[in-house]
Amino acid sequence: MLDPLSKIKSLAKSLEELRLHLGRKDLVIGNIALNSQLYFSMANASLRNRAVMLYGGMGANKTTLVNLLGASFLGLPFDDVENLMVSGHPEQTEEKIVGFLDPRQWNLASGELDVLWTPWAKSRWKLINEINRFPSGKQNLFLEILQKRKISYAGKVLEAGDTCYFATMNPNFSSTYPLDEALLDRISACVPAMQPDFLGGLALIERKQEIKEIAADLPRFSEQEFEALPKVVSSMAIDREVELAVVSLLRDFTLCERAHGYDKTQLASSKPSRGICNGCHYFNNPELCCWQVDEGLSDRVRQDLREFVKAFAFLLEKKVSIEMQRAIAPYIIWHRVTPNRSSLERPPYYGSRKLEFISELIEKSINRTLNERGEMNMIFSSAIDGEISYGDAIKELSNYDDPIARLDYIPMLERMR
Amino acid sequence: MKLKSFMDEAYRGKTRNKKLGTRKGKAILDLEDLAEQVGENISKEKIAELVPSDPNLLARLVACDPGKKYRVIWGYLSSLYAEKNIEPLRLPPRDYTGLELTDGIIVLERGGDHVGERMRGGKIFVKGEAGDFLGQELSGGGIVAGSCNDYAFRHMQGGWAVILGKAGNYAGLGNNGGRIVIRGDAGKRSGWLMRSGSLRILGDAGDYLGLLMSGGEINVDGRTGSRAGWRMRGGTIKARIIGSEAREGATGGQLLKPDQ
Repeated sequence: MLDPLSKIKSLAKSLEELRLHLGRKDLVIGNIALNSQLYFSMANASLRNRAVMLYGGMGANKTTLVNLLGASFLGLPFDDVENLMVSGHPEQTEEKIVGFLDPRQWNLASGELDVLWTPWAKSRWKLINEINRFPSGKQNLFLEILQKRKISYAGKVLEAGDTCYFATMNPNFSSTYPLDEALLDRISACVPAMQPDFLGGLALIERKQEIKEIAADLPRFSEQEFEALPKVVSSMAIDREVELAVVSLLRDFTLCERAHGYDKTQLASSKPSRGICNGCHYFNNPELCCWQVDEGLSDRVRQDLREFVKAFAFLLEKKVSIEMQRAIAPYIIWHRVTPNRSSLERPPYYGSRKLEFISELIEKSINRTLNERGEMNMIFSSAIDGEISYGDAIKELSNYDDPIARLDYIPMLERMR
Repeated sequence: MKLKSFMDEAYRGKTRNKKLGTRKGKAILDLEDLAEQVGENISKEKIAELVPSDPNLLARLVACDPGKKYRVIWGYLSSLYAEKNIEPLRLPPRDYTGLELTDGIIVLERGGDHVGERMRGGKIFVKGEAGDFLGQELSGGGIVAGSCNDYAFRHMQGGWAVILGKAGNYAGLGNNGGRIVIRGDAGKRSGWLMRSGSLRILGDAGDYLGLLMSGGEINVDGRTGSRAGWRMRGGTIKARIIGSEAREGATGGQLLKPDQ
């Protein structure tokens, strides 16, 4: 009988015993501490058509970790997996990344044109190394490819099937380019890859093997085991409490009283950081998220969050819980938004702890939904189910000073009336 | 599925009746916001009213560097934070730490000026050197410090204090109660204008010990400098070796050796 989970556990254990250097255990779910870099990568390997980006300075083992996991999950030699990845630099072209027309066919009088697809295009484990070294224009190529099962070139379509996408990225250096917001939205989770701590550094002294030898010693997944992973993950149940908190979290970040349709994703030049919130009723209320980030969240965030909490529940052999959502949601959201500068620059964030800042906003949104929005949500749902009139519900909801009640529930009931 | 059943399942009947509340008034995000709302008449009560109930935000305010401008406000915040904390609170060396502290424990590696000023309860431990005006107007609780600069425990009215090393000049100036023990030497004019309470110096004392004192008790295990008990009007000074010109112009009180 297939048991991919025990193989994943043995893989994590082997990486630890073989002294692969990773940062500290920075992801805390309940009373379990995990290394976020490793566990998000393994969660992504258990899902399909999601993308995890490892973000960090040089030598933090980002590329090596993804290639080691690739070798284990695909059952391939380490060198073969390394050859699959594409690396960012200004001279990369679509032809080098995806494929090119077979020049030998020009001599043929007729027939279908053939495309020679690159190993990367054909692979179901796609690593885009140093993604921010692609110039901005060339980054657009990945907009189409990420999260898709097929690649098109010169009118030909390659059906690569369900794929695990990974990317690595350095902080802004002299030869890097900023990443486009739409591309960042297609990255499901962004995980800081940190340098090993003191004990981790000492443990490295004891490492006797080279990376290739480590790869050879790792457990290998059979094709059936690798294929079975997404099915097992999708069977994990999510309870209503988590579903409600996820949807409310998205609305907390997206609603804006001054944006078209109250939707912050409609904003272009006017943004919270450019003064759109000045004089707004909700501005400067530390309990609210809307004025503290420039961007709204797309529905991709909901999908990614649901998928990753299920994958973590599977990896940890636990039920999907609010604690899991609290811990995982910051990694799904922080790279997609720009925090209010004056809030971020205050202690304890010092302009650099963006992940912690976003974690606190998420914490506030979840707590507000679970502890303070119950009555308001019951009034709204009673009106939707026809138990009370829309007019009565609107009257009662107008007593609630909450963006979701005022900008979502009341306008919706008014439209239905 | 009906939306109400979804909500029922989500909340499991736990929090449906809790009334939604949004923070009223202007938000306090840093010391500047707090100072703006406190105005010119700064008091602990006023700050306690305004200080956010959110413990994370209070911790963040205490983590701010107040500079010279907001150091008194920061001092009150440090006391409020220590009073709410069950564990001893470790803070960086800043002026006015533990201002008007009534409860809790503060631990400092070294102290700025005015540490433990107008303290009424609780304890402050300064592992290294404290600045000037340590425990000024102390009326309750206790302070232990490695050493201190000038004007320590000025106008002290109660409580206790232990200096493990040397004390600067003017220790216990104008004291009207409380107990002070200095395990090292004390500078000049210790116990100046003292009216009540006790001051014990295990090392030597500087010149003008107990100058113009009118009550209380000073014990010196070592020697006093010159002019000990000069123009004293009451109280007692005991010292093993008494320096020159002692009790000159004195109208009351006693200057004794330990066996007397």
